[in-house]
Order: sequence, then structure tokens, then C-alpha cells
Amino acid sequence: MNGIAVDGIGLVGGFGCGLDALAGRLDQGSQPSGQIEFLRDGEAGNVPALIADPAPLERFLSKRATRRIDHFSKLALLGAFLALEDAGIPADDRSDLGVVVASGYGPTRTTFAFLDSLLDDGDSCASPTHFSNSVHNAAAAHVAMQLGAAGPNLTVSQFELSVVSALQTASGWLASGRVDQVLFGAVDELSPVLLHCRERLQSDAPAGLTGEGAAFFLLSRNGGRHGRIVGLETGSVREGNSLGSDLDLCLLARTGLDACDTLGARLSADGTPTADLLPHVGALPVGQAFDLAAALIALRRGSWPPTGQGLDGEVGCLQVDADGRYGLLRVAAAV
Amino acid sequence: MTDRGIPVTGLGAICAAGPTLPAALDAMFAGRRAPAPSRRVVTSHAEPYPVFEVPEQFFPAGLPGEEELLRTSRLAIAAVAEALATADWRASDLQGLRVGVCLGTTVGCAMNNEGFYRDYRAGEMPDMAPIRRYLRSNPAASVARHFGFDGPVQTVVNACSSGTDAIGIAGDWLRGGLCDIVIAGGADELCRTTCNGFQALMITDTQPVRPFDRNRHGLNLGEGAGVLLLESPALAASRPGREQARLAGYGSGCDAYHLTAPHPEGRGLRAALDEALSAAGIKEEQIAFVNAHGTGTPDNDRVESRTLFARFPGLPFHSTKGFTGHTLGAAGGLEAAFTVACLQRGEIPPSIGFAEPDPELPAAPAAAVTPVSGDFALSESLAFGGNNGVVIFARGGDA
Repeated sequence: MNGIAVDGIGLVGGFGCGLDALAGRLDQGSQPSGQIEFLRDGEAGNVPALIADPAPLERFLSKRATRRIDHFSKLALLGAFLALEDAGIPADDRSDLGVVVASGYGPTRTTFAFLDSLLDDGDSCASPTHFSNSVHNAAAAHVAMQLGAAGPNLTVSQFELSVVSALQTASGWLASGRVDQVLFGAVDELSPVLLHCRERLQSDAPAGLTGEGAAFFLLSRNGGRHGRIVGLETGSVREGNSLGSDLDLCLLARTGLDACDTLGARLSADGTPTADLLPHVGALPVGQAFDLAAALIALRRGSWPPTGQGLDGEVGCLQVDADGRYGLLRVAAAV
Repeated sequence: MTDRGIPVTGLGAICAAGPTLPAALDAMFAGRRAPAPSRRVVTSHAEPYPVFEVPEQFFPAGLPGEEELLRTSRLAIAAVAEALATADWRASDLQGLRVGVCLGTTVGCAMNNEGFYRDYRAGEMPDMAPIRRYLRSNPAASVARHFGFDGPVQTVVNACSSGTDAIGIAGDWLRGGLCDIVIAGGADELCRTTCNGFQALMITDTQPVRPFDRNRHGLNLGEGAGVLLLESPALAASRPGREQARLAGYGSGCDAYHLTAPHPEGRGLRAALDEALSAAGIKEEQIAFVNAHGTGTPDNDRVESRTLFARFPGLPFHSTKGFTGHTLGAAGGLEAAFTVACLQRGEIPPSIGFAEPDPELPAAPAAAVTPVSGDFALSESLAFGGNNGVVIFARGGDA
């Protein structure tokens, strides 16, 4: 591939809001930002979690404009506005912008809120507002509407491989000249039902803190103020392949899957330094997008903040799914 | 895309009109349809809503069971098997090739199992089997897993234009050299959540759907899967005689206007048409016919009729939703397969359900089997979120 330039970054997660917030957490360490309540064995329980607060969206949109927009789409909107602000894109220059959004699970809180309306009030009282916001592309639609972005618009949902898969299409749009800029974002939200499922499905070895948030990037062919994505690789993890062995550092997006732990051990055995953002972002299906942001921060500094390890080559962002398929982003510093 | 386009060598479809593409076409050209209240998806509305459900006997033998995969993935696998067979590929012959899968869906990615959630809310320990099945059932991933494909995998969730967008993306992958083959299209199942959701939005009809009709009142939901097997020109050239059509162009545009209603002037649809025609390197007058989205909702059909009249005055167009229902994420895939087949036949079926022209609409669809001539045909999809997708196919024939 020709490489994708990253010109703007917008982040919101349990670490706070903005690129500096994540950089600060990488330097100083993190604490869980809150607790989330769910039903455990039929009893109310709660767990610490890295919860994202979309309140700073008020800086870009009035409360009136967002009154019918759910948490999931607010996170996406905040990430989108921050990325465009970071890139210095003026408000009147967004009509041809392509929008690509990746999400592992989509707007789960709203999906279950819609089911609540059915279960509480009956089929004839189902909530049309919840239904229309529960479609997976609602976030991309809100981003397009609020930004006036009338270019191609795509949402991809591929569980843990959502980010790399969606980036492949964004890359294709840029390479073919279909658009000059793509606003690419990843978003997932926590919900009590997801936590219940996670605890029961991963009872032996939970990945650690869970998280939520949005990571958006303004991408183009040339430039790359923050750096460049120089490789997108997908395939099946097989014994013996030298996946990522040439990387200075490999960031693993851990979600508690055995395949990820196995791969991490193999990379370490091959001598490739690995790290993860679990304490700062938490486990979430689109964790790879936050890894991309962290990789760009580190490459800009020339070292990985938590350890001081020097970086002068490529940093990898690796995520695997339950089928043992992987997606690897190769990230390089700005030229 | 001003080359000859991407070869289409395989087609597959399963829907209420038929278990295979030829069977569905037979039903459509004979004017047969059978909408009825669902036996599987039951709601408590005072008046029953007809849907287009795929009968159990339409599912081919050998599919993974209901307990293993969501119905959406099972429908997708059935359609892919047909596409592989019509392209004269056995799955085992594809092992050395880079085979990608790009499928659109809506329900197939939604974590909305009502029984599980009811038990959860009641403080019980719900059976985790529905969640495990959901986690195994990402449509593109489950197709890749079932057939052993190792190329890129992508599930597009652009609501009702998902299938059309997936086909366009597949073309990009092949043009960019990512794959040798891509299976592309869409799949979706009927479910209570979407049935109740569309009824809450008051855009469903209690009568069989009437696309573009003066008395249209809304859509009927349906389910199914439709896929195309696309090959790189080099691979297709190495297996002459199998090309059924070429994907000549794709375009998309976003209304950036409303979450569930189309832009009144069809802004995104016009942009998608512009891009697709430009990509195909052709003019409007070279299009033989249009497979319209034609859902039967007042807003959709008004915008489409006006846009089609402005861009393609006098051109035959039709809606196949009267035979299949609105199959959401599958619609673009199914209708792409129908479009290729109709281009090959040189005729389009009647827009069943259309009887009385709407004086507010400047263009009316084909009401009977209509001969068409020309080398190109177009299929368009409009979607929640303001997404609009357009694909153009060229008549096949190995060069």
C-alpha cells in the first residue's frame, strides 16, 4: 500500500478527552474512571471500568442539537469534531469528506433500551427514537449530518477486526482517488448486558478493565502531521509465521481472547517488545484504534512513554479475533 | 473505473420468492408472491403485518444448524454455495487463492436476543447459547469460516444499502489487488426487533406492499441473501466462458440530512448516480433499466420516482420488493443478482403491487413483464442514515 497519512486525531475514553489526555496517562499511569452496574448472578453488582464522558461535545454542539442523540453517537461525534479540530479543517470544507466508522458491537445500550420499551409497554409501544438510533450506522449518520459530510459513508462491524477491516476500505478510497480525505473512526460503548456476558464468557481469565470510547483520525494520501499507517495486514495466525517480528514495538489490543494471549507470548519469545493499553483504555473490540493513537504519540516522541524504549522504525498495532484471524497496522513516524 | 469492469462469474439468491436465483426469477416473471403474517416472528399488534418469510424447505441440506449460527449467516451460506456452483468453483479449488468476503447486513450484527434479555432483566441466569451463537455469526466471518476462505473479511452495516455498498467495496478490493475473488452481497433475517421497530416508525403496510402505487402505505419486511462472485480480470480470463456480467461502476453518497428519511431532492442518490455513471464511463442513455429500491413507503418512492424521471426520462424501472419484501441488508445483494439476471434475459418482471399510478410521481414502474435492451443495467439502494448506493452492471461475455 502507498501509506495513509494521519493529519488529525480525536479521542475520548476512560483516560479523558483528547490526544494530550491519552499521552498524559501513558506518562503517569491510569486509574479506573468509574464503575458500571450490571446484574451478576441475578444480583446488582458493579465493576470498575474505564468510562468515557462525552460532555465536552457541548463545545461543538448545543444540548438542543444533541438531545435525541445517544451515548454511542455522542462519543463518535466528539471524536469526529476533535479530529477535525486537530487537523485544522474549517467547518465549511467538509462536504466531500468520506466517513468510515468501525464498531465491534454497535450501540448496545440503545438496542437494549429499545427492547426495554417492548418488554415494558408491549409491541405497539416500541420506541421509534430508540429503534432509529439502534442501527449500527447511526453514529456515522449523525457525524455526516452534524458535519455536513456528504461524501461516501460506511460503517463496518467485524468484532475485534472492525478497525483493520474498515481501514482497508478507507485506504482503498484514498488510493483510488475517490476522496481526498477520510474521517475514520472507531467507537464502542459499555453496557450492563455486555459486562454480564463478558464476565460469564471469560470467567477464567478476564482481560482486565473494560472500556469504551471513540478514536477518530483524519486521513489523507499525503501529509501526515502525526505519522503514517504504512501497512495493513490481515490473515490467519498460523504456527511459524513471523508476524510482526521486524517491529520496534507491537501494541496488542487485548480483549481476553486466548488467541491474543498466545500471540503475545509468541512475539515475546521472538524478541519483539510488546505492550498494551489496558490500564488506560480498557478492553474493547476497537482497542486497535486507540493503539494506533498511542503508536503515533510514541513515534513522535521517539520512545514508548511507559518504558522509555527508543523507537526509530515501525510500531505495530495487532488485534486478533476468536477465529484466530489477525489484523496488523504498521505505523511509522511523520517524515 | 473506465476499464471493462470486474467480472461476475457466480450468482446466488435465497428469498421468499425462491430458494435459488432461477426459482426466484421464475416466480417473479410468473407474477407469483405470497406475503403472509410470519409464523416464526410473532408480534402482538392488533392488525397482522404481512412479511416475506423464507420457508424452511428453502434451506438447502448441509447448512450449519440453527443452534450454531444465526439465520442470517445460514441464509448467506446458502446463497454463497449457489454462487460458487454457478461460477463452477468448488470450495476446495479455492484454497490457494485469496478469497475475500464482503457482506452487508443489519440484523446479523445486532446483539438483540429478546429471550436472553428478558431473562437477564428478570434477574435470572440466562442461557448463554444465544450470545455464543451471536458471537459466531458475524455474516462475513461465518461465511469465510464455513468455506475456509482466507482473504479480507468485512461486514458492512450501512442499513438498507449495505448489500450494494458491499459489492462496490468488493470491486475496490479486486481493483486494488487485495484478492483474486470476492464473495459480495448481503444477508438478513426477519426478527421481532426490526418488525416492531419499523412498525413503530409507521412505515409498514398491513396490505401486501405496493411500490410506487398511489395507495402505497409502507413496506413489508422480508428476509434472504443475495451474493455475487466477483473475480479479478486475470483469473476470469484464465477460465473463459463463465463471465455472466461485469461490475462496471459503483457510487455512493450520503444525504447528511436525516436519520430515517431520504433527502427530499435525493441529494445523496444523485451523487451516487453521478459517481457510478462516471466510474462506468457511460451516459444515462446507455442504461437499459433500473432496479429501483422501491420499498413502497411514501417518502422513498417519491424521491426515487423524481430522481429517476430527472436522470433517466422514459427509462423502464421496476421494484422487486413486491416479491421479496424489504430484506434490509440483503436487498442490495438480492437486487444486484436480479439485475444481472434480467440484463441477461433482456426483460424485467412486473413491479407487483403497483396498480394505480400516483399523480404526484412523475415516473411509474413497469407494471408487466417488459422487454429491455442495452448493455448496462443499474440497481440502487437508499438507506437509513442517508446512505445511497448504486451499482452498474455491463452485459457479460468473455472478451
